[in-house]
Amino acid sequence: MELTVKQMDPEEFTRQRQEVLAQWITGKDVDFEEAVVYHKNIPLSKVFAHKLEEGKRQGITFAQPRAGVALLHEHLELLQYLQDEGGADFLPTTIDSYTRQNRYTEAQAGIEESRAVGRSMLNGFPAVNHGVAACRQVVEKMQVPVQVRHGTPDARLLAEITLAGGFTAYEGGGISYNIPYAKDVSIESTIKYWQYVDRLVGLYEERGVSINREPFGPLTGTLVPPAISHAVAVIEGVLAVAQGVRSLTLGYGQCGNLLQDVAALHTLPVVAEEYLKKLGYSNFDLTTVFHQWMGGFPQDEAKAYGVISWGATVAALGKATKVIVKTPHEALGIPTKEANAAGIRTTKQILNMLKDQTLPMTKELALEEQMILRETRAILDKVLELGEGDIAVGAVRAFQAGVIDVPFAPSRFNAGKILPARDSQGAVRMLDFGNLPFDTEIKAFHQERIALRGRDEGRDPSFQMVIDDIYAIGKGMLVGRPRSKEAGLRWSAFEERGAMSGISQCEIK
Amino acid sequence: MEQKTLVLGVIGADVHAVGNRILDYAFSQAGFKVINIGVLASQEEFIRAAIETAAEVILVSSLYGHGEIDCRGLREKCQEAGIGDILLYIGGNLVIGKQDFSEVEKRFKDMGFDRVYPPGTMPEVAVADLHKDLKF
Repeated sequence: MELTVKQMDPEEFTRQRQEVLAQWITGKDVDFEEAVVYHKNIPLSKVFAHKLEEGKRQGITFAQPRAGVALLHEHLELLQYLQDEGGADFLPTTIDSYTRQNRYTEAQAGIEESRAVGRSMLNGFPAVNHGVAACRQVVEKMQVPVQVRHGTPDARLLAEITLAGGFTAYEGGGISYNIPYAKDVSIESTIKYWQYVDRLVGLYEERGVSINREPFGPLTGTLVPPAISHAVAVIEGVLAVAQGVRSLTLGYGQCGNLLQDVAALHTLPVVAEEYLKKLGYSNFDLTTVFHQWMGGFPQDEAKAYGVISWGATVAALGKATKVIVKTPHEALGIPTKEANAAGIRTTKQILNMLKDQTLPMTKELALEEQMILRETRAILDKVLELGEGDIAVGAVRAFQAGVIDVPFAPSRFNAGKILPARDSQGAVRMLDFGNLPFDTEIKAFHQERIALRGRDEGRDPSFQMVIDDIYAIGKGMLVGRPRSKEAGLRWSAFEERGAMSGISQCEIK
Repeated sequence: MEQKTLVLGVIGADVHAVGNRILDYAFSQAGFKVINIGVLASQEEFIRAAIETAAEVILVSSLYGHGEIDCRGLREKCQEAGIGDILLYIGGNLVIGKQDFSEVEKRFKDMGFDRVYPPGTMPEVAVADLHKDLKF
């Protein structure tokens, strides 16, 4: 099958479907016609897209946690708790990491071991192994809509099973679930895998069943400049709508600077709508999701609540349709249900307090918006040029050329040439542009702000500055300032071996 | 001074790449030769890399909670491969949920790890231990 943005050929879909459903024994329980009937009996209050549209109309920001454990009864108990005690507006089913890599045999071993030791040995719910009927129990037991959240490069079987299982929303995309989640899978392959998922959603939509699709906005969650995540979000949005997806939620992960983050949330639907319309698509409903800080967290729970609250504040002021909530256990890994519920309650308190407030447009906010729009358009126009009008082809070529480049990604299909760093106000700027197609004016804007920070700190911007930024929030700051003399001692071993004088010496691979 | 070789990687189905980059940088800056096998690394890949490069230490990262399942049998596999005495270090979010670290540490030491680090450990702690354990 040749790569193109165009809707998948029905014969190709049917051929793949046979192959996909045979990948694990539970695939045989998928019956599309029966699933359509099942979906039609789900009350509207539990349909994801319906509630999102309602929230968008009313200007509400909804809160949604991440959560998933190995065994069905424990998973039900966990979600029930987050709904009743946390007040979650939307629920997730987070999938375990073996399933994400299609390692169903290992997931099965994890299920069995979890049963034997009496605690979850998996970091999520292995939905493929549990199968269609178990998924339906999850959807039926809850009073709010439930979404599948994961990080799976090839999520075709997972989509077949969970959508037949009654889930009304599905996260992921061919770029956003490849670049941060895989090492050796080509972008061309994952775009095709996700066109299958989007086409499946399109088939449900054609039968009157609404399934929300949400590309994963934050990518690596580590100093990702807004224009890069926006460009990826728009591309995945176009790819999804082209396959018949109607309810589309585009995401953005918090960077930390209020104005930059609010500007990013304001511009995301603007630039998405602009390109969707320009490329001839009009039949879609667009909403936004904001992810609370995805990087390292403080271990101290009180400090973690501070980070969570800051994310909630930005979500509310930026008028995101929903916010994905972190927990006070973030620094330590998978949270308990109590900690998870506490994160939701913290978030909702702020969302409620701020729901009638907006951030006034100022010169500074307008500038941030303008820069994000200019940069995103520069990338997207180059993608379309490289693809000779086809955004799927253009995306593959853009990654090859480093025209799209995601910082700190594990994938070898990502150039890894750009280097982001914070400016003195904590906004994420570029220290090294790699091959991003930015004009001299955009570049000058970034260079000026980074240089200012260097002067403030009396050091040349370098990879050490970036490392300091990555650790900063975990250590109670947003900007990774040079360590105090006392703290600095701990780094002396590195500094003695030669302070880095410029990014050309960076060893980031 | 002779340069010591380390094998660095993230084990299992784990894709956390950021810390891996930072450790690579930090250990290289501290003078070690770092063989970084990256994310999604199997036990066999760690051992193969250690044999091929005559490494003295294997440093395993695990951030996603499956560390317990993924690391079981690593020491035994090293023994079978003829590198039974190699130093094994591990660090990260090693288990699911907030558990007492001293118990987690014991569990991994019983598995044959020489050093076990809790979440949030700075690279220089491991660098200091490497100097101690490798006696240089």
